[in-house]
Amino acid sequence: MVEKESSVKGLGPGFWPFTGLLTLLAIANIYFWAVTPLSRWMPTAVTVATQIDELFRVFLAVGIALFIYILGYAIFFSIVFRARKDDPPDALGVQIHDNHKLELWWTVLPTIAVILISWASVRVWFPIQIASASTPAGLVVESIGHQWFYTFRYPGINGEVTGNMHLPVGEPVTLNVSSEDVIHSFWVPAMRLKQDMVPGLINVMRFTTDRVGRYRIICTEFCGVEHGVMNKQYLVIEPKAQFDAWYHGWQVKNATASNALPQISSAPIDLSDGSAAAGQVLFSQKCSACHAIAPFSKRIVGPGLKGVLHDPAHPNLLSGKPATPANVAEILQHGLQGSYGQMPTQVQNALTDKDIANLVAYLNTLK
Amino acid sequence: MAVAATHVGGGIADHVHPEPQGFIRRYVFSIDHKIIGIQYLITGFIFLVLAGLLAEVIRTQLMNANGGFVSNNTYNEVYSVHGSAMVWLVVIPLMTGAFGNFVMPLQLGARDVAFPWLNMISFWMFPVAGLMLFSSFLMGAPVAGWTEYPPMSLQGEAGTSMWCAAIFLVGISSTLTGMNFMVTILKMRAPGMTLTRMPLFVWAQLATAPLSMVATTALAGALAALFMERQFGVPFFDPTKGGSPLLWQHMFWFYSHPAVYIMILPAFGMISEILPTFARKPIFGYKMIAFSSVTIALAGFMVWAHHMFTSGLAPFMQLPFMLLTFVIAVPTGVKIFSWITTLWGGKIHFTSAMLFAIGFVVLFALGGITGIFLASVPTDLHLHGTYFVVAHFHYVLVGGSLMGIFAGFYYWFPKMSGRMMNETLGKWHFWLFVAGFNGTFLPMHWLGFEGMPRRVAVYDPQFQFWNRVESVSSYVMTFAILLFFVNILVSLRRGKKAGPNPWKARTLEWQIPSPPHYYNFKHVPTVYGLPYDFSEPLPYRGLEDELTDAPAPVPAGAH
Repeated sequence: MVEKESSVKGLGPGFWPFTGLLTLLAIANIYFWAVTPLSRWMPTAVTVATQIDELFRVFLAVGIALFIYILGYAIFFSIVFRARKDDPPDALGVQIHDNHKLELWWTVLPTIAVILISWASVRVWFPIQIASASTPAGLVVESIGHQWFYTFRYPGINGEVTGNMHLPVGEPVTLNVSSEDVIHSFWVPAMRLKQDMVPGLINVMRFTTDRVGRYRIICTEFCGVEHGVMNKQYLVIEPKAQFDAWYHGWQVKNATASNALPQISSAPIDLSDGSAAAGQVLFSQKCSACHAIAPFSKRIVGPGLKGVLHDPAHPNLLSGKPATPANVAEILQHGLQGSYGQMPTQVQNALTDKDIANLVAYLNTLK
Repeated sequence: MAVAATHVGGGIADHVHPEPQGFIRRYVFSIDHKIIGIQYLITGFIFLVLAGLLAEVIRTQLMNANGGFVSNNTYNEVYSVHGSAMVWLVVIPLMTGAFGNFVMPLQLGARDVAFPWLNMISFWMFPVAGLMLFSSFLMGAPVAGWTEYPPMSLQGEAGTSMWCAAIFLVGISSTLTGMNFMVTILKMRAPGMTLTRMPLFVWAQLATAPLSMVATTALAGALAALFMERQFGVPFFDPTKGGSPLLWQHMFWFYSHPAVYIMILPAFGMISEILPTFARKPIFGYKMIAFSSVTIALAGFMVWAHHMFTSGLAPFMQLPFMLLTFVIAVPTGVKIFSWITTLWGGKIHFTSAMLFAIGFVVLFALGGITGIFLASVPTDLHLHGTYFVVAHFHYVLVGGSLMGIFAGFYYWFPKMSGRMMNETLGKWHFWLFVAGFNGTFLPMHWLGFEGMPRRVAVYDPQFQFWNRVESVSSYVMTFAILLFFVNILVSLRRGKKAGPNPWKARTLEWQIPSPPHYYNFKHVPTVYGLPYDFSEPLPYRGLEDELTDAPAPVPAGAH
């Protein structure tokens, strides 16, 4: 049977010229993505969008080049090595099983490629998701998802802002997103950023506005029958003067609005008659998703709270103040943007002053 | 125990049971892995037609930017049931239940799977679960997609609870099948068939089985919790009562990412059988392909949270999931390069099975490449929840899994039925399908990038042109599948007799008559090597009587 096996000279007819052709196509593709910004199809509204676009272009250049080779060789080998009419009916292909050198190459090269794309990704990921948390928060805005619209909260504006979301150009922004019903998503394609709005959870987006314009805000998590039209509101990035005028307009409008949200009073809470038993129940409902009754280092989201008021190793709270009942109450009242994440405020957590007194009493019993 | 093959002194006793005679025992409540495989195949194809029709409702709705073909709510029900049915009632049962059941024991030289009764029970859960899922339309079908994220799924009508029960049931079926296959492959190989002599399709099933066994239990837990919350108000997921919506996402994706590999690994195995057979040369890099299947299966357990980059994971948690996901590119790349090199130097016969296999390699590769965009956190922040994701997983699940199912069907149909498929219709099927498929799903990549979110019944008019291209292409794809079913029906009646080995293939199932006897092998063969050395004599002994009039093995006494 051996004589019916094919034998192939070198790598087969036309292999190198065809490889040359594929390489030219691959290089042309890489060149195209090297010189073509994606803002040609989609504007960039914030500074990180440009960095994310660069990563997109790396993936497009490498991915399409790889696909050119895969498609090219699949078609080329299919044509060159097709069975022909004048072949004996039991003709065989070349009987090779493997080639350790080749297999080593195509394990090592993709591994190197994976290391490179990992590096390229981490380089963009780190500033957006990690380093930005320790830069100044800038303008802190909240957006709440509803079925099927967004509302916004600005510092200094009473209650909620409806309609479009306005931001001044050239400023760092911290956008806290959450939801009051089901999961929504806050996506501005021109920002290349998106966070899900999860009820009971505050997700943070940080960016610096970069370009004046009106950009659509789109929901990408299915949220009910009108999900498809939850794209009618805009992010308006405008010069500071225009933003200030808009901001002032809402301040005036909401000052008299009857539907304004309850405001957190700045007065300290009376902690004198807190009930530890009631606090324990509350803790399991409101706190235990993020805090364990365990030593400080046992984090869920926030630190473990066992002995929070009696731990000599941690005399200070994450707010930097000494661990006293009054300072714990302050965090419960006003929330905290700590390095571990966002501690919600009294209003977000729906805690009454009495609830806070009870919680502090309970925490004080943990030793 | 029905058809037990027990190891006796290094060999396997020629121990068989009498063939059941009544129609019910033979074809309905059968315990024969070949009949069960075909039952899975037929049931799976029926659900493919139903879920495919739902897909056409989706595409017809999206012909116009403002919809109008069905109501928004109906549209949401339709795509939710479409996705659920395609995953749990079509691809998973066809990959494991149908092809795994029919082919794997034959390739092992076994007389049946390890637990034939369990196999029958697994099968019968599947059509019942399918009927339950489709019956949810009568009571308000689920609307929150196949992922059913709470709290949205807590608002769904009664059909959502039915969905939980249906998927729970089909999940149990899948878990039991995984267990059954695992034991079969580890304990019932013919003498001489060491692990490294197993055909690659068996390797693929061996890598899939633990995924079905372990991951599906996490899904079962999630479904039970969702059901209890919906029916009895036990607050697992509702944040207003102290539940966590993200808990569901973790449990769901802890299953559903491995499930992606349950849906694709068996196709890898099929392709690894079909390419060498029609290129008339050994598979290139047998050990690398086998090993990479196992690597992918293991790594598949450690990447689930890459579906949750925008959900509100702690940011530092994104890093390991991103990097581990990238790592999967290496074994996947090894497979694709090995398959393409298998074509090199071959004598390639372009049967329909081979066309689908080559098409699989190319389209799956594209689905893999777009996976990189979604695995990287910064680009996923833009692409998550858009049509880019829809494009990506349809390239993997249709360009990959479904093309694999077609390839495997054209390849093994002669063994199942004893007749050949019509090759002309098969080639029309292939080319129309590939054209329609790419027309439907390729534009979704840029639609997603430019701002079209998924799961919308209406959309921005700027996207209407490409959506119309997609809808028209999807009709072409559906027509191609219609040709496929016509081909099956015609070939079953009028197809040329196949004979035992029409493709001159070398795995064990092709060395016995088509369709095989009830007992599979007259004598259990002994295996001396890999099945891919086309220039060598077959590496089996003990098959001399298979194609002769030698008497069938005598059934042992009833147990």
